[in-house]
Amino acid sequence: MTVRPPTLREKKRYILARIDPAGITVDAKDLYYAVYEAVVSLFGDVTAAAMQPSVLAIEKGYVLLRCIRGSEREFAIALSTLYGCRESTITLRVIAVSGTIESLRERIATLVPGQAPEITGQETAPGPEGSAGTGAIEYRFGTMPVEPVATSGHKIDVIEKGFKNTRRLFLTIEDLEKIHATTIPDGL
Amino acid sequence: MKITDACVYPYPLGDSSVRRLALEARTLGYDSIVAADSPALELPGISVVPGLFLSGVPAKDVQSRAKKSRGSGTVVAVQIGDNGFNRAVAGTNGVHIIRGIHAADKRAFDHVTAKIAADNNTALDIDLSILICGRGHLRQKAIHRYLDLMILRSRFEFPLTISSSSQSVLGMRAVREVTGLCSLFGMDETDVQMALAGVGRVTEPGESIVKVIK
Repeated sequence: MTVRPPTLREKKRYILARIDPAGITVDAKDLYYAVYEAVVSLFGDVTAAAMQPSVLAIEKGYVLLRCIRGSEREFAIALSTLYGCRESTITLRVIAVSGTIESLRERIATLVPGQAPEITGQETAPGPEGSAGTGAIEYRFGTMPVEPVATSGHKIDVIEKGFKNTRRLFLTIEDLEKIHATTIPDGL
Repeated sequence: MKITDACVYPYPLGDSSVRRLALEARTLGYDSIVAADSPALELPGISVVPGLFLSGVPAKDVQSRAKKSRGSGTVVAVQIGDNGFNRAVAGTNGVHIIRGIHAADKRAFDHVTAKIAADNNTALDIDLSILICGRGHLRQKAIHRYLDLMILRSRFEFPLTISSSSQSVLGMRAVREVTGLCSLFGMDETDVQMALAGVGRVTEPGESIVKVIK
């Protein structure tokens, strides 16, 4: 099939959405199926066919989506009903709608440098009497030891440490208690 | 006018701490949240209101629990039951919100209950979690109930509240997304704004029916 001239092509709209929780790896194909299922289950096959939803790319924790011009409102409603992709629970936060992918890529470039880097849970704390930082900081939420996986400002995502119930918890810095192993006196 | 999410479940009921839910709600455009089993909390730009959510409790116990929590600043919400229970609860002083209409029998909330709720300033809650997470018959039933609720509301003008009923920050939705979801059953932007301000409306002391003019 030959490519249509630009004046005969259907007008598209591109949607930029952030994938929450931060740091989760999502396959574009799996996300496409999840998005399509959300659209079809809410609006049906006829609207889905007219809307032509698709996932273009996943870049730096953001996803670029596409639909036919005029259906972006319905598409955004359907996206707000998306709650999972495969076994992982995710949500898409719509950030911008544009007529070109390029402007959304520029938007991603402005959004990404402002984010705080992820922390790995193994921070070096200064040792006693000015020695080099060797002690690891352990975090606790209540009595439960946890391991940070992602942080952004005051927000911090942690995973419970343990053999079972290792679910992801969404906390703030104030909720956590830091325990410096190196500050415990020898007498104890 | 405070934009309020009428129900969230923080840790240990959910996987997010109450502070994190509050921060997320602020990012999503809310001014306050009603959190189950949580103390009152004031954070920059957002406040957490304690909520008491009663489910499967007889009407008599609802009355006593509502009486106990009166004046404490707690939002009392009761899970909907059968028709007689709903009429009793809607007329109970101290009950602010009736929840769970999406799962109720279609005769559970009728015009008489709607009139009682309007007279007693008791709000009906629109739970969005079923629209977000539900699929198929469950969601269709919920949309049907909400459409029916809108018809009764246009006649009796009882207050509405909107809740995400989320146990996680991932279940919360922005005000703009809530407006989109509510448009599925005929609510326009003004209705949504009023419903989001519904918690403030039902918790503030109402004006006396009889006014003394000197």
